[in-house]
Amino acid sequence: MNKTLKITAAAALVGLMAFAAAGCGGGDKKAAKGPKDTLKVGVTNFADSLEPTDNYFGWVLMRYGLGECITKLDREMKVVPWLSDKWEIGSDKLTWTFHINDKATFSNGKKVTGEIVAQSFQRTFAKAPRAKSMFQVEYIKGEGQNVVIKTVKPVPNLPGMLGDPLFIVIDTTVNEKERDYRKMGPICTGPYAVKSFTKAKAIMTRNEHYWDGPVPFKTVEIPSIDDPNTRAMALQKGEIDVAVNIAAGDLALFKNKDKFNISEIASLRDILGRVNVRKERPLGDPRVRHALMKCMDRETYAKSLLKDTFFPGAPLMPPSTDYDYKNLYAANPDKYDVEAAKKLLAEAGWKDTNGDGYVDKDGKNLELDCILYTSRAELPIYAEATQASAKAIGMKINLKPVDYNILDKLTREGQYDISVCNTLTMSSGDAEVFVNMYLATGQEQNGSGYSNPEYDALSQKLAVEFDPAKRREIIIEMQKIHLKDASMIVWGHPKTNMVSNKSVVGADIQPCDFYWVTKDFKPAQ
Amino acid sequence: MTNKQIAGRIGQIVLVLLGISFITFCLVMLAPGDVVRQMISGGEDIVVSQEEIAALKAELGLDQPFFMQYLSWLGRALQGNLGLSFMAKLPVTEVLFERLPGTIVLSLASLLMMLVFSIPAGIYSAVKRDSIFDFIVRGWTFFGVSVPGFWMGLMLLFIFGLKLDLVPIVGGDISFETLILPSLTLAISMSAKYTRQVRTAILEELHQDYVVGARARGMSESHILWKEVLPNALLPLITLLGLSLGNLLGGAAVVETVFSWPGLGRLVIEAITYRDFQLVQGAVVWMALMYMVINLVVDISYNYLDPRLRKAR
Repeated sequence: MNKTLKITAAAALVGLMAFAAAGCGGGDKKAAKGPKDTLKVGVTNFADSLEPTDNYFGWVLMRYGLGECITKLDREMKVVPWLSDKWEIGSDKLTWTFHINDKATFSNGKKVTGEIVAQSFQRTFAKAPRAKSMFQVEYIKGEGQNVVIKTVKPVPNLPGMLGDPLFIVIDTTVNEKERDYRKMGPICTGPYAVKSFTKAKAIMTRNEHYWDGPVPFKTVEIPSIDDPNTRAMALQKGEIDVAVNIAAGDLALFKNKDKFNISEIASLRDILGRVNVRKERPLGDPRVRHALMKCMDRETYAKSLLKDTFFPGAPLMPPSTDYDYKNLYAANPDKYDVEAAKKLLAEAGWKDTNGDGYVDKDGKNLELDCILYTSRAELPIYAEATQASAKAIGMKINLKPVDYNILDKLTREGQYDISVCNTLTMSSGDAEVFVNMYLATGQEQNGSGYSNPEYDALSQKLAVEFDPAKRREIIIEMQKIHLKDASMIVWGHPKTNMVSNKSVVGADIQPCDFYWVTKDFKPAQ
Repeated sequence: MTNKQIAGRIGQIVLVLLGISFITFCLVMLAPGDVVRQMISGGEDIVVSQEEIAALKAELGLDQPFFMQYLSWLGRALQGNLGLSFMAKLPVTEVLFERLPGTIVLSLASLLMMLVFSIPAGIYSAVKRDSIFDFIVRGWTFFGVSVPGFWMGLMLLFIFGLKLDLVPIVGGDISFETLILPSLTLAISMSAKYTRQVRTAILEELHQDYVVGARARGMSESHILWKEVLPNALLPLITLLGLSLGNLLGGAAVVETVFSWPGLGRLVIEAITYRDFQLVQGAVVWMALMYMVINLVVDISYNYLDPRLRKAR
């Protein structure tokens, strides 16, 4: 070995040792320090402004503990009181009266009255077109501590809809010209109030007039850390106390340690395969659909391929909702059974007559076009796994990745056999919109040709049923029909998480994606 | 460069800007899918009703014929009004100017770091050609060119932020502490290119006849290097420097994302995701303008830096 090479090798070795030494120490040394009176939460923020009626920016006001609605959704997605402590519906099934809690105050100390809440809702309707697409009102008025809302049509889930961050209650007596809502947000009722806000970082201070108990932290800082690796490192180092959504690959860094809490829950999302059941398509034959469902090992997909970051699916609604997931999942008629799948295909007349490994009928192989978008990493994984499973029973699936915009168009127009997407099942405490959207006859998003009079009858019943218990029963019945008909593939439900260091308690993730910082986040004693 | 030539170049800039703005408009508006659906959903896979799409289309004037839309944008742009960002609900110019300080600071800091390393390293490497130092520098430049920026950024964060605890991991604001690692990440990949460039330029000059002549006249090696060779060798680098600065002023999206740096790069990525077409238009026009203006300035600067050009004029 010549001298130059030896010296270079020595230099490289020194470099490597320095790198390794850096890797051995330090790490989590600040993790145990924790917050005193300042809480730091690392998130990804999409909002440029704190105007709640713009886009989905109301979500950020709620996520940051600034804004509150008159109702909220609990851990089972049931509607429970918040600023309103009780409500009732009139005999016309159109007029709702919400009573506002007498204790409720804004962060400027002003009392929350029915009048102000009514004006706040009127402002939302005036500024946000999305409000009108949720429900339409004949009038909204304040009467003392009551808000009276008369809808144009019966809206059984109105209390749940008013829990959407679009309807955050703001102090409408404030002159909007004197306060920059974009940077300071409106005056709201949450445990914290804005000190400064940019897309990159928000600083909040304690709302000294908070109406619903003590506010634990004097200051809350929320930096937006878009890169998930950077977010995980910041939590490891102790620069933040809580991180929302740590990537699956990084979660192991925080497991089995005394220094961190991991709060994990099934999100409200489904990984769906909408199947085209029109007669001219292969999946128009229910036996072929059931065969496809049976060839997929959804438990193994979730546990092995997705590293246990998903719950396996079958029913329409995820396990975090109160729609009997456990029993419906157990009752799924299409559990993994390759032999049964092959038998069903044979019954439907599909056999491999030319020995090419794929079943055929009338000289044509059983081929399915599967469209998907790849911006969510799990979608190609599920699609490829299904492609491999289907091959085992002689079905050929052609994967066609497209942009989501294209997929949306193709799916509405019915130009597919399987259309893969990740979709939100509910955000307002009720699944009515979701269970209708893809499966009820005549819906804009139902491009699959699926139509079942029994399902439609339940859908119509749901539209006018106001009793929550009965609504739950109807939605469970609709899911049973979905399972019986194999109307869509529900591959699984992603888990979502919040990781905190041990100096914070109460940092629990909730299924609903707009409750992050709450008054329940407290310093550990 | 004569005044006439400068005026010609300014005219070219205007024409190129017009072309670029039109192409960008076509790309954003004619890309597959519904631009308005994308704007409402923010690139997310959420269901948007046709009713909402129609309402916003009408509000933004996107139900007009394509050319009318472009001409209407152009008309406003010529009066200094680049329109309103749908994402931020603010004038595009205001949104761009909000992110501009971050981009300028990051660009200048990374250029400075790069120059501090690559000029001495390149010169010494050339002078001590085939020495151990030269060998290490060449190895380093291969490494710097090959390693992707996001990986380099994460490694620097891991070592200097997490393990050695020398700098903060969480960025989000513009400060000396938060500036170090993003500018170092950019500087490393740039210095890899520039060091090789400086080395090659110096080597070329060292073999010129005037160097042989200088040596024959008994000039010292240091005089030849600093006074004769360096001014000639660094001249072509100014062009490269101009291109790099133009690039950097357009934002460094990946590095800005890793370090949560509030610059133009992230803004543009977000704007494209949202199909916030007026903001995309504004940002692209800004990038193109910066690129061309800096290159014009570089060309003009040759007049002052290169006596041969002055003489030719």
